[in-house]
Amino acid sequence: MNIDTIKKEFPIFDEKIQNNDLVYLDSANSSQKPKVVIDRINEFYTKEFSNVGRSVHYLAVAATNLYENTRASVQKFINAKDKNEIVFTKGATEALNLVANTLGQNYLQEGDEVLITELEHHSNYVPWHFLRKSKKIKINFAEINDDIEITLEEIEKKITSRTKIISITHLSNVTGAILPIKEITELAHSKGIVVVVDGCQGAPHLKLDMQDLDCDFYAISCHKMYGPTGLGVLYGKKKWLEELPPYQGGGGMINEVKKDRISYGNLPNKFEAGTMATAQVIAFDQSIKFLERIGIDNVVKHEADLIEYGQELLQKNNSVKLIGNPKNKGGVLSFTIEGIHPHDVATILDEDGVAIRAGHHCCQILHDKLNIPASSRASVGVYNTRNDLDKLNEAINNCKKIFNQK
Amino acid sequence: MNLKELYQEIILEHGKNPRNLGKTDNFNKDAKGHNPLCGDNVHVYLKLNGQKIVEDISFEGSGCAISMASASIMTDLIKGKNEHEAKEIVEDFLGMIKENPKLNSENLKEDEKTKLMCLSGVKQYPMRVKCATLSWHTLISAIDNTQEEINSEKLD
Repeated sequence: MNIDTIKKEFPIFDEKIQNNDLVYLDSANSSQKPKVVIDRINEFYTKEFSNVGRSVHYLAVAATNLYENTRASVQKFINAKDKNEIVFTKGATEALNLVANTLGQNYLQEGDEVLITELEHHSNYVPWHFLRKSKKIKINFAEINDDIEITLEEIEKKITSRTKIISITHLSNVTGAILPIKEITELAHSKGIVVVVDGCQGAPHLKLDMQDLDCDFYAISCHKMYGPTGLGVLYGKKKWLEELPPYQGGGGMINEVKKDRISYGNLPNKFEAGTMATAQVIAFDQSIKFLERIGIDNVVKHEADLIEYGQELLQKNNSVKLIGNPKNKGGVLSFTIEGIHPHDVATILDEDGVAIRAGHHCCQILHDKLNIPASSRASVGVYNTRNDLDKLNEAINNCKKIFNQK
Repeated sequence: MNLKELYQEIILEHGKNPRNLGKTDNFNKDAKGHNPLCGDNVHVYLKLNGQKIVEDISFEGSGCAISMASASIMTDLIKGKNEHEAKEIVEDFLGMIKENPKLNSENLKEDEKTKLMCLSGVKQYPMRVKCATLSWHTLISAIDNTQEEINSEKLD
């Protein structure tokens, strides 16, 4: 895997950002886009555009085929059993809202419990909170250990006779901790508990195999996988997607509409109401092909090297404190610098062309637990190099100089 | 002024040695401000005298350098101003930090304006503007409370 060649596929790295070469360490937030994806959007709108799934003219049929090709590519990429288990959404957030909302309608009763973790992103907490309000369900939190990871034992400890759903992240967007999804699912299923996985960070950084993980739902954010914004994927086991009610009503999701009755369409149309993000779906096929061309095993290996290298650098840097030390981690390094607020860190690093994120990263529960208002986060993608992490470290040193910090 | 210069100036001037940090003795008005996104907290204390002049002003808080420095500079400038002037200065500052190219207040001396313009560097970072304005909004909230009859009586 030649990073220089890969980096050249991303036009943004040809740009000077505020007169600096871009050191992009914010891929956990959103990844940059390779030229093939950008070009595909342009090409589709320029030469092939039509809405999908409705008209019978040539362009409509061709666009529908392209749209369905992406569905097949996603199925293969995540090794789902059935193409109809792939539902496109406007993002992973919508995917998680869809799951919570429809399980809330059909499956959960007052007093039932949903088990999440202290690592969860707000998008895997707030949708369940809605049900806490409307259905009077209870939300329990599996707690982090000292290394800021979630163990199988902790999950087991928090399961009660009322636990109906476990909804957890695959890879923490703050500490990079990878959760043992396969083992958690096995345990959950032995007790008849449904497993929902927030795969926003898992999908870009890990090799996915739905049949092996065996979880019931898996939410994916396409823009974190070198794909377009405005697009997510919900994987759901067929039996669940068939059983659950539709999430939104409108065109495309119906079978028959009469004044006194309405029947809904088959999977996956039942969950794809209205005009979908057609161009994004079609371009996302290029993102998957891009990842397949590199090889997801190579991505995992490359990123593991970067994280290990970055971790060593930052550990050696006085006054930098890494957040968490999970045994199994990927993609992300969060840290604080003694005496300097993370927002000041991010703003000053930006002046050196180093783009990181500062804040609570939509994980207020975790930051409260750690008793810090915010943290700084550097996250990597396929285009990053060890040199990027050297530059991060240099920029941190400049920042410390400004603040007279040793 | 680029941001690094801004930081250097602010940190040297106010970050390491914030003015008016702590709780004013015998304060008669106060208000709290909080920015949940950054976790910035500020608590502004005012001591207004019978002529509604800011006899003393201070703040407590935690947050980024910009929010702390902004609060520090604010308390420095507001001390000695009357309530009306203070509100006018806040309005002028908020206008400048959001859109106006310069400060127009007649209640600020030229060197005070220069000091305040140090913060204009955050304009290019809309995400950071709220760090700079938190304490100023909090000051207004404190002043507005003093307009209540019962509070005015406390002044005596």
